[in-house]
Amino acid sequence: MFIKSILTGVVVSLGLTTAGYAADYPTKTITIVVPSKAGGSTDRTARLFTELAEKNYEGFEFIIKNVPGSGGQKGFESISRAKADGYTIGLNFTPQLVAHVVSGRAKYTLDSFHVMGNVAQDPAIVAVPKDSKIMNMADLAAAAKASPLTVAVNGIGSDDFLAAKSFEALAGVEFNLLPTKGSTEQKAGVLGGHVDAAFMNLSQMIKQHNAGDARIIALLTDARDSHLPEMSTAKEQGYDVQMRATRGFIAPAGIDAAIQAQLDEMLSTIMASDEFQANAAKGNIFLLPQTGADYLSYLTGLQGETQAVFDKAPW
Amino acid sequence: MEYLQIVFSFEALLTIAIGTIAGVAIGGMPGLTATMAVGLLVPFTYTMDPTMGLMLLGGIYCGAMYGGSIPAILLNTPGTPAAVATAIEGYPMSKQGRRALALKVSVTASFVGGMFSVFVLLMFAPFLAQQALKFGPAETFLLALMGLAGIISIADENSSLIKALIAGLIGMIIAVIGTDDMSGSLRYTMGMIELIDGIDFMPALIGLFSMIQMLELSGMRSHKIDTSMLEKSSKKEPMPKGISKHIALGSATGTVIGILPGEGATIAAFISYNFSKRISKTKELFGKGNPEGIAAAEAGNNGCVGGSLVPTLTLGIPGNSVAAALMGAFIIHGMIPGPELFNEYADRTYPFIISMFVANGVFLIVGLSFAPFLARIALIPPAIMVPVVSAFAILGSYALNNAVFDVYMMIAFAVGGLLLKKLGFSLEALILGLILGPIAEGGFTQGMIIGHGSPWIFVESSIAKGMWVIIFVLLIPPLLSYLKLIRGNAKQS
Repeated sequence: MFIKSILTGVVVSLGLTTAGYAADYPTKTITIVVPSKAGGSTDRTARLFTELAEKNYEGFEFIIKNVPGSGGQKGFESISRAKADGYTIGLNFTPQLVAHVVSGRAKYTLDSFHVMGNVAQDPAIVAVPKDSKIMNMADLAAAAKASPLTVAVNGIGSDDFLAAKSFEALAGVEFNLLPTKGSTEQKAGVLGGHVDAAFMNLSQMIKQHNAGDARIIALLTDARDSHLPEMSTAKEQGYDVQMRATRGFIAPAGIDAAIQAQLDEMLSTIMASDEFQANAAKGNIFLLPQTGADYLSYLTGLQGETQAVFDKAPW
Repeated sequence: MEYLQIVFSFEALLTIAIGTIAGVAIGGMPGLTATMAVGLLVPFTYTMDPTMGLMLLGGIYCGAMYGGSIPAILLNTPGTPAAVATAIEGYPMSKQGRRALALKVSVTASFVGGMFSVFVLLMFAPFLAQQALKFGPAETFLLALMGLAGIISIADENSSLIKALIAGLIGMIIAVIGTDDMSGSLRYTMGMIELIDGIDFMPALIGLFSMIQMLELSGMRSHKIDTSMLEKSSKKEPMPKGISKHIALGSATGTVIGILPGEGATIAAFISYNFSKRISKTKELFGKGNPEGIAAAEAGNNGCVGGSLVPTLTLGIPGNSVAAALMGAFIIHGMIPGPELFNEYADRTYPFIISMFVANGVFLIVGLSFAPFLARIALIPPAIMVPVVSAFAILGSYALNNAVFDVYMMIAFAVGGLLLKKLGFSLEALILGLILGPIAEGGFTQGMIIGHGSPWIFVESSIAKGMWVIIFVLLIPPLLSYLKLIRGNAKQS
């Protein structure tokens, strides 16, 4: 097993050394800052990458540094502050990356980073308890008009919160919003029938939906998702609310162009490999490969949308 | 049957034993916690056979929960917050030279609590998880209140009840620092990014117990070690009569509380301890080295192990932070918690559950056979003990979040805590307030939101009503005896 992986590494690297890459890089271990705790979905995304990167690229060694807490702010700041020598890169997740900028708490802006590309996503969904009378978004709006519904979101300024706020504006309703500490509390609230609805992410509820313990009533994406193809989007149901969590790679701005290009290409090559896709599917990670440029324009747009929500109801 | 074969293969047994023994060591060191160990090892198990990987982590969980009690008893330095209640009884016993008995009670109670909870997990998981769902934020608030009632039982007849309450309040006030989850606004963070998540209770625990204990040890005039204590401890003292009642009480309490969502083990240990004090025939010995207290607290926190996995495996709602880290290991191997774990992946899930029976057996054997050697740890001269434990305290605080800030925090707690301790305030009450304050706050504010601003939600459900009865049962007798004490003092003067 071990010998086999060395051999694969050698074979692959032989094929790659012919390309014109920055000389004598890397000479030491590259640190990947993960702004959340070990074992979480962002951490797992990073480890999927390092596993294949170390296997397929000779000379590359990675170490993962978990900087958990403060909604990723500590981690994002440490990436922005890191020396731009190509030996520190990191992961980001949205909308927290831009939400911290919008709320004025972050010591960085989007310009502090070189955006390498997006890897994974998690569509926002609306879930209700299994015996709820609410079957779709129209029911949700009607019920919310009749009496204030208790709706769980994962903390203030999260993707759930932003999605709930845009639905409120669109449907002209006001929820009795229940901010929770983490998706676990949301899940417990929906499964136990303590809340009327919850704005969450697909990966957090898909198994419960399939098992009949809870019901997803809409996906908040522009198109249907292959993991739950029969589920219609809110857009189809007449409420164009779109939100997703994304997880991608960023680096401190100002890394030598040749080195940065090498890292960017490594990321896109690995994301395109069958092995990466198989491992991600096994680990319940939904892929959404995007180039750095595409992802940057997504982030910029998201920051604008978040700013609009913040201006109306700051937190 | 085939599941048993998987568990009793040589490879599996070795994995479980390694996990469990490592867990005991981790739980025993200040600053290293089961959550951290499981979290760090989850990615490591990625390359392992899934069943073996899970068995390793399960062993660590079981072992660490017990391991926390060893330094709590011997050195008054609980390795996990769940072992604080154990230290209240265990350390006085240790000073009386009854440390071998204290260790024996602790390992036996941990074993029984652990076995009982894993049995419950194996037999009744789906049914109990459905029941646990009825437990909402309002009930979480009441559970935290029940745990806070433990502050009353910490204050024994000699030390002042008022001072224990003040200490608990100080803990809760410190816990106010950080983000207000309901509004997203920051409270008293003074612009420091390190304070956004509030004060982590682990640096506080290390500072308040491990570090202060070392400061006190180095401040003692005489460093002579009483060897007569060793002789006494080597004499075999039988298990106290009637202790099984307290172990049973702790096991049941721990398992039930473990099943409920939220940080279970600390609450479970304190509530079990409190229950056991209420039913004890030797109440006056509590706080002075009563093995009954150790039995209840240890059975309680190990009962949480199996209990916390009930909602984790069946619903994907982890019962506490260790269970949450363990859930990450399941997901890495494509085993998403839910009914699939018990049919499609039954050949991994059941061996994992069964392996925890073995893990409990492993630490029982290790604990019983090494107890006499472990007891000698307390005899290590301060000149060696103080620097070693202090180094671990600093390392442990740093390793929690890879942050030097936590080391400063730990030192601040040690300095502040030492002052409070000298003034007669209970540090156990302080840490209880610090840990349970945020749980109570979260339950209260969420309950108020769900109740649309009406406090009736806290008495509405039948679970809530039952919990109020227990809270009053825990609070009223000590209050009456306290009033009697005051009246008695007034008459004398």
